[in-house]
Amino acid sequence: MTYLDSAATTLQKPTAVAQAVFSAMGRMASPGRGGHKPAMLAAETAFACREAAAELFHLEDPENVVFTLNATHALNLAIKSVVKPGDTVVVSGYEHNAVTRPLAALGCQVKVARGPLFASQATLAAFDTQVTPEVSCVICTHVSNVFGFILPVEEIAELCRRRGVPFILDASQSAGTLPIHMDELGCAFAGMPGHKGLYGPQGTGLLLCRAGQETATLLEGGTGSLSAKQEMPDFLPDRLEAGTHNIPGIAGLLEGLRFVKRKGEAEILRHERALVRQTVEGLSAVPGVTVYAAQAPERQGGVVSFNLANMDCEEVGERLGRMDIAVRAGLHCAPYAHQSAGTLETGTVRVSFSAFNRSADVKRLVDAVRGMTR
Amino acid sequence: MVYYLIVCRSLTYAQRTELALDRAGITAHIMRSPKVIDSEGCSHSVKVSERNLAPALVVLARAGLSPKRVFIMASDGSYKEVLL
Repeated sequence: MTYLDSAATTLQKPTAVAQAVFSAMGRMASPGRGGHKPAMLAAETAFACREAAAELFHLEDPENVVFTLNATHALNLAIKSVVKPGDTVVVSGYEHNAVTRPLAALGCQVKVARGPLFASQATLAAFDTQVTPEVSCVICTHVSNVFGFILPVEEIAELCRRRGVPFILDASQSAGTLPIHMDELGCAFAGMPGHKGLYGPQGTGLLLCRAGQETATLLEGGTGSLSAKQEMPDFLPDRLEAGTHNIPGIAGLLEGLRFVKRKGEAEILRHERALVRQTVEGLSAVPGVTVYAAQAPERQGGVVSFNLANMDCEEVGERLGRMDIAVRAGLHCAPYAHQSAGTLETGTVRVSFSAFNRSADVKRLVDAVRGMTR
Repeated sequence: MVYYLIVCRSLTYAQRTELALDRAGITAHIMRSPKVIDSEGCSHSVKVSERNLAPALVVLARAGLSPKRVFIMASDGSYKEVLL
């Protein structure tokens, strides 16, 4: 199998991840639900994971690291903590439905700061225009899950700080490859999956919260704290973590975080970018292929999209799948991104990398695509 | 043996408290708070020895960690709140 769909979920994980999941299932119970050894071991693992995440993302207090089911869960918590029904919200032109659907459900007025693909300055200028006094929140993806476009989130965050507007970062495609400095960004929240660039198991995610940020619950229930009260605790992480934790998942995520720390985000990014460059060069040489690539490599992460003339993207994905090459075709749950890039009608075929891909994977893909055009 | 219980608002807070004390060389252990001292339901406490309370409070103040309440366990097994 040539797996090139890490923007959805990384399939290859460090060996220690599965080992930790298995070990946790046999040895750990639930944090805060007992003083016995299995419960305390689970508590130690959860705390170690919070600490590892706080260190990686430059968050002072591990209490502000909240475990979630995935990035969608984290972003829903963030959005519903800041945005009220009917509010005006600014988003980029590259958002995922994990952001735009909650806003639609809240009946928000959504202003799109749309810029052309890979055009950072134009995107920043669009935010500058759209962030007006009635705006209650700005939400921006760090990296487009369709095109790998790295948005200028540091500058957007700075704009929000200057104008006193809360900023929510969707770090779904950047966590584990790009630096995320919560203390410098000053964003209200950052949401991310555990199962992509952090190499944890599916069913894990993180919500990073600014110190003192007000939060709203999506779920209410047992937390192992203040049990005599019927209101949810007002402190993190308990407030946003009702119910039993996914401790096997958290144990695996801890190992994923340790892997990222050991290898280094910069090295993983360098590796993925080299594979993206190889893909762009290889596919661009195939007649009839359109590749969506940044002129400036520093504006693209480990994701690249392409299309074949006269062939539906889903058919390309299907045919590659039959050759044991896993890619993702369609709209990738991101119609805003396709609208911005002009691919809403066609969709794209997306190739996305992880630390475990090799140059041979790209060669196999390019050869397969070349074969389809003959 | 007489010891003190530093009651924490959450398990994670207790873990931060234990870590701060451990880094300062003060032996501390997390335990579930005895029901009699916990009027709001379940919570966790950090247990320190009698001689370590004063330095522990200094360490915690430096780390910005505020104990919710502090109790002393007397030799007869009863708990009495320590007013800070």
